[in-house]
Amino acid sequence: MSPQKAPASKVASETQLITRAQQGDEEAFSALFESHKRRVYSLCLRMTGNTAEAEDLTQEAFLQLFRKISTFRGESAFSTWLHRLAVNVVLMHLRKKGLQQVSLDELDTSQDEPVKRDYGDDDRRLVGSIDRISLSRAIADLPPGYRAVFVLHDIEGYEHNEIAEIMNCSVGNSKSQLHKARMKLREWLREARSRGGLGAPLQVDQPMGERQG
Amino acid sequence: MMAQENRQPTAECGRFDAELMAYLEGESRPFVAAHVRECVFCAVVLADLEQVRFLARQMPLAEPSPAVWANVRARLEGEGLSRPKARNWDWLHALRALANPAPAGALASLMALGILLTAAPHALQQPETTASLFSSASPAEVAASASQAPESQLAHMVADLEATYKANEKFLAPDLRATYAKGLSSLDTSIQECQDSLRKEPANTLAHDYLVTAYTQKAEVLATALEFQGR
Repeated sequence: MSPQKAPASKVASETQLITRAQQGDEEAFSALFESHKRRVYSLCLRMTGNTAEAEDLTQEAFLQLFRKISTFRGESAFSTWLHRLAVNVVLMHLRKKGLQQVSLDELDTSQDEPVKRDYGDDDRRLVGSIDRISLSRAIADLPPGYRAVFVLHDIEGYEHNEIAEIMNCSVGNSKSQLHKARMKLREWLREARSRGGLGAPLQVDQPMGERQG
Repeated sequence: MMAQENRQPTAECGRFDAELMAYLEGESRPFVAAHVRECVFCAVVLADLEQVRFLARQMPLAEPSPAVWANVRARLEGEGLSRPKARNWDWLHALRALANPAPAGALASLMALGILLTAAPHALQQPETTASLFSSASPAEVAASASQAPESQLAHMVADLEATYKANEKFLAPDLRATYAKGLSSLDTSIQECQDSLRKEPANTLAHDYLVTAYTQKAEVLATALEFQGR
């Protein structure tokens, strides 16, 4: 995973917060939660596609974090540590639900489906006709295995070798699952557009990641 | 020149399919780049996948409900892991805050928000004591009440609360101020995006739900920030 570079001042203040949290300071716990809750919750939400489950898992991830925070020695970035912990919490939950009982290598037995093309009039690109809300909906509808790989790679920025380690599968399988996930999303979004079910187009040329209000 | 007429996939399209995954993984596949210049249908496939990948990198962050922190905090306290400070709205703190004009202003805004949010539309109730005012304005309760408020009223009240926060944010420690600024900016982005969607598609219920949620979460974040301002 490629964590975003944090400014030195932010790292310093976070280090202070971690030290205070290690001493049981509730205000430090609160500030750390406030600082990271969106990223952890978003990961949980996208991996499960369910707000109630995502909130439970966010709660569990932070509880585990705060229980273990006294062992944090700063060898890795705090956000990386927390994020990996949250991923493990979600995957454990999915396994308990029976959605990931077997590794992706075992799941990936399906034949490659042919790429769907709209020969004829409807060959317009999706560019300009899908927005992030539509994509969120489509991601939630993906099968859990595809969804996990797509979320980890395309949204969270994990590399295939990291996903392979996390998901207990091969690098090739991670790549294959990701490709199939993207193809399914494309198919879903094109079908939704043809049904008129997509929301208003977003101006995709506008930077949206941490867009300032 | 691109073929525009209806047709079936060619052998080249099959090779495109076979090499597409590797191409998207960043491997050098000159055939894919060359084929999409010739075949409009495969060009659409590639453009769509690149668009999905582009949007995925820009997905907005979502906000958990205030209940998540409330539960985490309760569990931490229950397990003896956290050392709680004096509750924010206890009598001593309130008296101290009221002696200071800036926190008092923030407090007044919170109190007003608490009153407005919890009041029935046509039966505004006056709390009987200061203590009940404070208890009605804790962040979790503000957020819970906000989620029940009409959208127009909610937007107005959040704006008032934000104005108070802006006027007093200098009292916050720099690290907390930066944290709240980032959180509020993210929520403003979500609110703007939902409003844009609703302008174009007023019946989009999903966008409407997201908008109310974003306002509610902003109310909670502001209430929490004002809590810290008052310390």
